[in-house]
Amino acid sequence: MANDIVLETEALSKHWGGIKALNDISLQFRDRQLHGVVGPNGAGKSTLLNMLCGTLKPTSGCIFHKGQRIDTLKPWKFVRRGIGRSFQKTNIYPEVTCLENCAISAQRRFGGNFNLFASRHSNQMVRKAAEQALAQVGLDDRTHTIAAEISYGEQRQLEIAMVLATDPCILLLDEPMAGMGHEESQRIIALLKELKKTYCIVLVEHDMDAIFELSDQLTVLDNGRHLITGTVDEVRADPRVKEAYLGAEEDDAEEQAA
Amino acid sequence: MIFEKRTERILVPMFFMVALFVPLFLESNSFFVGKVTTIIILSIFVMSLDFLVGRVGLITLGHALFYGLGGYLFVILSPEYEAVNFWVYTFYICGIAALIALVTGAVVLRTTGIYFIMITLAISQMMFYYFFDSLEFGGDDGVFIFMKPETSIFGLSFLNLDDPQHFYYLALFSLFNTLVFFKVVLRSRFGRIVEATKQNPDRTEALGYNIFAFRLTCYVIGSTLGAYAGFLFALQYGFVNPSFLAWEMSGTALVMSILGGLGTIYGAILGTFTYEGLQYFFEHLTEDWLLFMGSAIILMVIVLRKGIAGYLEKLLEK
Repeated sequence: MANDIVLETEALSKHWGGIKALNDISLQFRDRQLHGVVGPNGAGKSTLLNMLCGTLKPTSGCIFHKGQRIDTLKPWKFVRRGIGRSFQKTNIYPEVTCLENCAISAQRRFGGNFNLFASRHSNQMVRKAAEQALAQVGLDDRTHTIAAEISYGEQRQLEIAMVLATDPCILLLDEPMAGMGHEESQRIIALLKELKKTYCIVLVEHDMDAIFELSDQLTVLDNGRHLITGTVDEVRADPRVKEAYLGAEEDDAEEQAA
Repeated sequence: MIFEKRTERILVPMFFMVALFVPLFLESNSFFVGKVTTIIILSIFVMSLDFLVGRVGLITLGHALFYGLGGYLFVILSPEYEAVNFWVYTFYICGIAALIALVTGAVVLRTTGIYFIMITLAISQMMFYYFFDSLEFGGDDGVFIFMKPETSIFGLSFLNLDDPQHFYYLALFSLFNTLVFFKVVLRSRFGRIVEATKQNPDRTEALGYNIFAFRLTCYVIGSTLGAYAGFLFALQYGFVNPSFLAWEMSGTALVMSILGGLGTIYGAILGTFTYEGLQYFFEHLTEDWLLFMGSAIILMVIVLRKGIAGYLEKLLEK
């Protein structure tokens, strides 16, 4: 079981001056599992994700990837170790086609990134990998459309496709369903169900139904503190969670649990 | 095809076809041939700046540093009264300029935005005052280049740099190669990441690219070609002085690049010729030519939002 752990944090903290955005977080993320992270606004979910992908350096504590310490590495080295992330706010290349968006992310692992002379279109492997990533999220029919011209929901899908094109083993997804309609959300949920068979996924999401449906493990953060990690049922049953997070919606939560 | 836009496919061959015959028509007017040569050399410089500013997103105000270095490096390296080989010295000068760009680039590229502008300006001004006050390089008067290099390859010489026409074709050949080179680089997989970095640097880094390395490579490429242009300019006029690396030089080149259409590469040629053409016209019209020149440029920038190239593309692309 222990070998399943692909990503691990140990007493991870991030302080901004006196404010403890994240305090003493120790978590384990397992392969082929979807690990949900929830918590009220300001709980430190995004801070955690930003540290897991290397863009934010922890104040103290460590991050281990397959047993090796990685928190001191440059952000772009995280991706090379197979840690890919998507963004809460759509973060794509709006001026080029969907295929080109994925080609940009796929290209790195095929080498030749500093080849000044060979045409960018000459490498079929990059193209195939990009097409495959688009197909994985169901955007095949948008291959040659400029990214700015597809719908918001589709841009969220493209966002995930770009992460997949980097050939990761760990996906850090920051609210992939933010601002989506019901139908679009369902599509993403179906996609994530499929993806968690092959990847370790860390999912930060506000949509409670979705996260209850998807999570194998669920972590609740509150005010930068680690409240509980467990299965969905364990978390639902925990009185501290109700108090801290679902307090206002206690009746609702109980109804759902029943 | 490295020229993706229709406008390029029309304009570029047109320009070079006409340019090829200019010296034949103006055989008797060597002043004019010299003038056009200068503009062509300047176009190389502006093009290298256009690449950095418009395509890589590095807004530098210190590009003239390399223009000046191209000239001064030749003076520093070559013996005073002996003709050296042009090709060998091109290699030396470009090599050393690339090294200097690598070192300064590693420093300046740690900053972005306004700080990048300020630090590039600061470094070039530092070098400006160094040469301005230096006794061995003639201070503000600069230095004369008495011997133009010879151009033989394996004992064969087909180019005489003292002949304005020959020099004209050397400059034109260099401009053509610079244009093709930039186009090829931008079409490459390297160019894909460079463009991605300009569009969205954070995302590009989040995709696993070391964007610093990409920017530094571009900085070295742009700076080296800028130095080559400066070297040619120094050879054409037979002197080099600190005004080559003054910030006004960087600023003027930036205006030319914007006028032509920032980031279009071929627009650098349009911008440089238009700017120089306007200046020539107004200079001969009135004493207060700067007033008219300035107004004309402001007007053009307001009317032609994306430069001359952008306007032509609007007419020709569909």
